[in-house]
Amino acid sequence: MIRAAALFSYYDLTLLLEGFLTTFALSLIGCLGGFVLGFAAAILRTTRSRVMAPVRAALFVYAMFLRRVPFLVTLMLVFYATQSLHANLPTFAVASISICLIAAAYLGEITRGGLESVHANQWQGARALNFSHWQTLRYVIVPQAWRVILPPTFGFLVMIIKDTALASQIGVMELTAAGKVLGNKGVPAVLVYGAILMLYFSMSYPLARLGKHVERRLAAARNH
Amino acid sequence: MTLQFGPILEQWPYLLGGAALSLWIAVLAFACAMPIGLLCAALLHYGPPAMRRLVAAYVIFATNTPQLVQIFFLFFGLPEVGITLSPFTAVLIGATFNAGAYLCEIQRAGFASVRRTEIEAAEVLGFSRLQIIRHVTLPHVMKAMFPPLSNQFIVVTLGTSMASIFGVEELTGRSDNLGAETYLSVEAYGVAAVIYVAMTLIATCVLALSGRLVCRAKMNIV
Repeated sequence: MIRAAALFSYYDLTLLLEGFLTTFALSLIGCLGGFVLGFAAAILRTTRSRVMAPVRAALFVYAMFLRRVPFLVTLMLVFYATQSLHANLPTFAVASISICLIAAAYLGEITRGGLESVHANQWQGARALNFSHWQTLRYVIVPQAWRVILPPTFGFLVMIIKDTALASQIGVMELTAAGKVLGNKGVPAVLVYGAILMLYFSMSYPLARLGKHVERRLAAARNH
Repeated sequence: MTLQFGPILEQWPYLLGGAALSLWIAVLAFACAMPIGLLCAALLHYGPPAMRRLVAAYVIFATNTPQLVQIFFLFFGLPEVGITLSPFTAVLIGATFNAGAYLCEIQRAGFASVRRTEIEAAEVLGFSRLQIIRHVTLPHVMKAMFPPLSNQFIVVTLGTSMASIFGVEELTGRSDNLGAETYLSVEAYGVAAVIYVAMTLIATCVLALSGRLVCRAKMNIV
């Protein structure tokens, strides 16, 4: 134990802390960006006009593709694409873009499922009351869809936190990369990766618990 | 930027071989994780309290930490206590460890979905214990479990791309090699992405079809 304490010097601890904060920032950007983009995509897919048909088709293909490609491949694709376009983006930006892209696909699908879970009668009723498409969404559909959308969303947000570990592959100095640096410095791998696992756990477990809590509360509200 | 897919597409047998290896890792990991998940689900339900807490801790830990770091731990950590794993074994154990926890959750939820009243109704009708399992519990559980299970198989398949980080030459690893040889990384990863989409779509179709035939589970393909 004394050896372990000596190995985690001041420098090592700041490295871990910086990695932790980078992972946190990446996850936050992915969650927020993905949620906004995914929500917008799901809303666009509720449109019925013929003019929007190509947009709907494009969003459908987008969601289907991105959810069937491993995150690592998406990450590398964005990385090499920005490089060959000579856009000198920092690796953090590349990782953020990839995470937002993939989160938009998953969260868009979750949101779409939620919106579709609201019975068609609700659309018809709103129409009979002379609600516009947007008013129907705003006042009728979305408020009812929330309880279906939220529980799986929390599950996916935990997924995003875990996926950010792959950003270490393109050189983002996040938690996993910090672990690799410490490992190369000669700190025992069991110690380093054990600590890293615990740090990831401390980030995703509260979120998972919150998700369970929200799920229980929403389920209770539905059974009334 | 002009894209040149020619040199990459010429190597299609090499890439498809990688895809086969990806699928093989996924099938192996899933096949090993299924009994682990089943055992854990049974222990959660019937085991002694201490065992229940242990299994619950495993599920919470495995589902809340990245698979990549778990494999790093196995691959770099275990040699320090004298167990050296080959990259393939480390990835396989990591994927199994991770999938086992998710499959436990799915199977637990599947068994919990059988209503007590259904079994009571079967008892009233004079079904024996075995008959209840065979005609009431099992069909219900299979039908409820099949869609999330096949979904999880796709997740495991996509997760095998991490093996490339440890030097296993599956689809991602091979497209990385091709990219390094030809300097056409965008094209190489683009082709790999399309193969992943095709591979998982075929897998979903096969699973959906067999699910419909065997378990009468309704599944959407896209």
